[in-house]
Amino acid sequence: MTLTSRSSLADVAAAVAGALRDAGIVAVLTGGACATIHSDGDYQSADLDFVVRSAATRKSLDAAMASIGFRRDGDRYLHPATSFFVEFPRGPLAIGDDLAITPVTVQLKRGPVLALSATDACRDRLAAFYHWADRQSLRVAVAIARRRRVHMAAIGRWSAKEGEEEKFREFKRELQRERQRVRDEAS
Amino acid sequence: MVLTSSPFGGQSRTAALVALGLLEDSYPRELARVLARPLSGVQMALRGLERDGLVAGRLVGRTKLYRLNPRYFARDELKRYVVKLADADPALRARVEQLRRRPRRTGKPL
Repeated sequence: MTLTSRSSLADVAAAVAGALRDAGIVAVLTGGACATIHSDGDYQSADLDFVVRSAATRKSLDAAMASIGFRRDGDRYLHPATSFFVEFPRGPLAIGDDLAITPVTVQLKRGPVLALSATDACRDRLAAFYHWADRQSLRVAVAIARRRRVHMAAIGRWSAKEGEEEKFREFKRELQRERQRVRDEAS
Repeated sequence: MVLTSSPFGGQSRTAALVALGLLEDSYPRELARVLARPLSGVQMALRGLERDGLVAGRLVGRTKLYRLNPRYFARDELKRYVVKLADADPALRARVEQLRRRPRRTGKPL
């Protein structure tokens, strides 16, 4: 797939996932890029973070990324045609204290991507709200939960383990409010 | 700023409390930016709220970080009330939601 200046983050994610898959590298898309995908672009990330879950050397990553036109600059992979850049942060894949993350295959227009589920992308944003009082992340978590089916009971249990029941209640209130706002706009 | 009332005295005092309710902690310059109010007015409001025991400030380096006073006897009720007041001010909420407070690795472009 050729990337251009018009390629969306999802296009870049699919291209990178394909190149890694072809090279036999298992990597999971995490962080803000997952939030972009699961919120249907309500939040726009500028970069894509993939956590590698199989044996891969810097050389094999360089080669896989070069096959779709990315060149490494330090820890970052840049492409001449798109402003989205790609990084491979060190794992493990975790949300708060939870290391038992099961990624899912998300079918994007240009191909499948192994990524955080909508529930985990929502939890990932909520973790920033819980621990850094980042209300931008709360807004994105609400956007994900409004657009995707998320496992609220699981999020509630995880929130309780993180000691954040009060903020979880705030998240649910915000979600209700947003759903009401959308209903009001539609009627 | 659309606050319809100022139950904590002046509008700046109420606005600062509402913003602290949303942000959990903040410093005067950030609050002034979020509230779109002059820094001096925000500083004065914070000093007054501190004297009244509603907020507490601590120095981090050269910055004074304020939060709702965790030792205030009605801190939880105060927090719920000011967060509720924020519902009446969508513009403030929108500005707060623009702030990125989560960390970003050093050297990673925004």
